[in-house]
Amino acid sequence: MRWLLVAALLGPLSAQAQRVKADMDCRFTGADFVYDCVIRLRPPLEGIAIVVGADMPSMPLAHNVRPVKATPGKAPGEYHARLDLDMTGEWAVKLRLSGAVRDLIVLHFLFTETGVTPRRK
Amino acid sequence: MDEYTIGVLTNVGLLAFLALSAYVLLVAGELSFGQQAFFGVGAYAAGVGTAMLALPLPLAAALAMGLGAGAAALVGLPTLRLRGLYFAMATLAAAEMFRIGFELFRWQVEVGGERVGPDGTQGFRGIRWVFEHGVEPAQFLLMVWALLGAVLGVLVFVERSRLGVAVRAGGQDPELAAAVGLDVLRIKLGAIVAAGALAALGGALFAHHNTYIEPRNFDIMLGVHSLAYALIGGLGTVLGPLLGVALDIGLLEGGRFLKEYRMIVFGGLVAVLLMFRPRGVLDERAVHRLTRWR
Repeated sequence: MRWLLVAALLGPLSAQAQRVKADMDCRFTGADFVYDCVIRLRPPLEGIAIVVGADMPSMPLAHNVRPVKATPGKAPGEYHARLDLDMTGEWAVKLRLSGAVRDLIVLHFLFTETGVTPRRK
Repeated sequence: MDEYTIGVLTNVGLLAFLALSAYVLLVAGELSFGQQAFFGVGAYAAGVGTAMLALPLPLAAALAMGLGAGAAALVGLPTLRLRGLYFAMATLAAAEMFRIGFELFRWQVEVGGERVGPDGTQGFRGIRWVFEHGVEPAQFLLMVWALLGAVLGVLVFVERSRLGVAVRAGGQDPELAAAVGLDVLRIKLGAIVAAGALAALGGALFAHHNTYIEPRNFDIMLGVHSLAYALIGGLGTVLGPLLGVALDIGLLEGGRFLKEYRMIVFGGLVAVLLMFRPRGVLDERAVHRLTRWR
């Protein structure tokens, strides 16, 4: 528990870590609620472990999908993941980054049976 | 422990705070469809605390609990004399007012070159205390369950005390409780405030687990589920809501093969369970039987 106490006491002293941003494009595979997604990190970091999960904003913590590991793509900072959702609708996709950077990036998309559109900023 | 298991156990722990909050009110004899509002107040307050005011998480969580308790008192005072369905409707309406309030809440400051803070329907991003302090998912899980254990300990202690007996008596028969000299309204208000603080603590942890919150996270679905957790698990012991969450999440996770039908099947199972055990798996009778064997 010592780390907890130290972290709690440090509070405001912590340094701002490097912020990574991500874009994601997904396309419908033709199979029910299965989408192939390409994630692009900014800056284009390589060797990052990305676990991709998703949950529905109106039922956080309960209505979610089993997280999958993204695999590195050909371009720098590019990763691929296949999302197997429960249903169409708006999902908050969570990219959990670990390795050289640790972060959680949340992106919103409207998944339909024809395609995927980003929602919000 | 793999990342998936850590994630599921963390979710169970976080939802347990909300379930316990609904349980406290059920034991006090009231059905609330509005505990998600205080979960939201806690999430926003703690998010503002760490991400905008640079407070350490324990302090932000304490602030969240205080605000959650205050918000619950604000709802509880005018609804104190309502009973049953009327109280449930009032809590639902109040929760919707809070959710709409979150949608209108805009307050952002610049932190590290980025705008951080609640941005209405766009939500509140950048609640990154956990990441900035290198707290690993397993450590966060430990933090959640340590706090949950402490809360359960306090609730067990209260349940075994005269206060606990008074809350249960006021919940089961308010007229009889008042006739033996109990101040039922005061007990009920205390339960409402305590339940608000509990939900807010869960919300504070949820915001830091998720790093992002938005008004829709705190809509009626979450309130209905929190009630369902408490009712499924049982009203006989504080362990009931925890069992309810574990059953709910366990069934949902185990029913992934049902794909889009799993929520329908899950709803049916809950309905069947409540037909046979209207006060949950660990109801008063079951707890009495179990404790008799000790």
